[in-house]
Amino acid sequence: MASEDRTKEILEGLKIAVKDFEEEEAAKWAKTALEEGVDPFMATMEGLAEGMISAGDLYNQKEYFVPELLMCSDALHAGLEVLKPAIEASGRQSEVKGSIVLGVVEGDVHDIGKNLVKIMFEVAGWTVHDLGKDVPLAKFVEEQVRTDSDVVGLSALMTTSMLGMPEVIRKLKEKNPNVRILLGGAPINPEVAEKYGADGYAKTAGTAVDEAIHLLKMLREEEMGKQKG
Amino acid sequence: MNSRERALKMFKHEPVDRIPVFSGYGNITLHGVEKYGWNFSEIHTDAEKMAKVAASTYELFGFECAVVPFDMGVEAEVLGSKVNYYSHRTDVVYPTIEKPAAEKVDDLKIEIPSDLANAGRIPIVREALSKLKERVGKEVVIGSWVLGPYTQTGQIVDLSNLSRAAYKKQALMNEILDKVSSFLIEVIRLYREAGADYITIREMGAGPDILSPAIFQKLIKPHLDRIFSEIDSPNVLHMCGDTNMIIELLGECGADAVSVECKNDVAVTRQKLGADALILGDIDAYSVLVNGTPEQIEQAVKDAIDKGVNALWPGCDIWPTVPKENMEALMRAAREYGKLS
Repeated sequence: MASEDRTKEILEGLKIAVKDFEEEEAAKWAKTALEEGVDPFMATMEGLAEGMISAGDLYNQKEYFVPELLMCSDALHAGLEVLKPAIEASGRQSEVKGSIVLGVVEGDVHDIGKNLVKIMFEVAGWTVHDLGKDVPLAKFVEEQVRTDSDVVGLSALMTTSMLGMPEVIRKLKEKNPNVRILLGGAPINPEVAEKYGADGYAKTAGTAVDEAIHLLKMLREEEMGKQKG
Repeated sequence: MNSRERALKMFKHEPVDRIPVFSGYGNITLHGVEKYGWNFSEIHTDAEKMAKVAASTYELFGFECAVVPFDMGVEAEVLGSKVNYYSHRTDVVYPTIEKPAAEKVDDLKIEIPSDLANAGRIPIVREALSKLKERVGKEVVIGSWVLGPYTQTGQIVDLSNLSRAAYKKQALMNEILDKVSSFLIEVIRLYREAGADYITIREMGAGPDILSPAIFQKLIKPHLDRIFSEIDSPNVLHMCGDTNMIIELLGECGADAVSVECKNDVAVTRQKLGADALILGDIDAYSVLVNGTPEQIEQAVKDAIDKGVNALWPGCDIWPTVPKENMEALMRAAREYGKLS
């Protein structure tokens, strides 16, 4: 087992690797974590995820932009690839595990935001059902019913593909009043999200990414709260 | 002074009787499409339908231009991307890129067809421009547009791959942007020849919501500079999102006018670009024009004029479901509050 100081050092290494978008470093620190007996779930949540949250802060300060965030998520992914099998083997499960259906609505093919949201939920230990892009609206309802998912995330970067959203939200809530709905995309604002009956929104390609990080932060806090409680 | 003269004079910095209200990109309405009983997906591939629908916003509401095309796939299709027209849908869905010409920028081969005037839908757009010239060209300005070189490249290659390359592979990106710019200059020349009075270049993919100002300045701007130095006036550079962070750079690209959307504080835009710059904007094309009340539209018009725009432009394509009374409110407010001394 790594000492407390060494564990801190390893978590910091993972965090910095993600923040500085160093894919190889992230994988290397992840291997070190496993070799030295750091809990892989902790390495993910307090190392990799922390790094992505720092990247989100830099995005808000306009020091990072979409390419930087994408590269951070590449490093995050590289670390996660190493840690994931160990998390699964340990039988240790996320306490707030859930399941999400994600997709970009028909009429839109921009999926950067959706892909980043996907990786955030994966980091947090959720099961992600990714429908891809240009997805007919009926498919979201079908997939939610099939998988009994807690959350459905719909993304549309263009105004031109947003208009079918109210219908799908209505159908989803009709089938399952408890399902939470996230909307993302440039034309979405709080009024539109509220009008459409959504539970959360992200307003631009960039803030979709930011929102994804924000979600991760919430999931992470919820997780740590549960573990302490 | 008719609408056409008003817009052309504005572009030349000459006095006008009132503020012009027009656009550099999509402004068709379902009222125009339904008048002819056509399906929305039909109007992108037929010159006659394209022209008639493009003219309808002027013919129905007095909106002071006619602009084609309506979708962002025309040039991408010529460069090898596959376009989905959604002909199975009866509602409003614009064509999108079903499959880009390449997944990775490393695999991108950009070839300009030898007979560009007859490649893909370029002849359809050209014919539509000629028809518009004939139909309404004495009354309003006829416009056309292309995407800027970076945004256009995003239509022919996977966008995530492009975003990473903008950071990691700048030499390769520079070569690609150079080729795409040469292609766009040719396309613009063909559109002008067919009857377009002005051209808008929409580089919304390279704004500070997406790329760092440093990358914009180093990698993108030189290509925009080149395009504007090689095409005819009048021309407009449009970028949506909050662009005040790079607005001085946009002002230096050599375009006759800069078009911005409501995410900018236009008063700041005006302050940064100075009194002589032509600034077009910044009516919210969805939240206000489509979802707002006529009173909110009136207020948006007043605000835009107070903040110093030279012409009222929607910040993006007008969404076709715009209510009739909102289009009427826009035009009424422009006439009422837009009188210039």
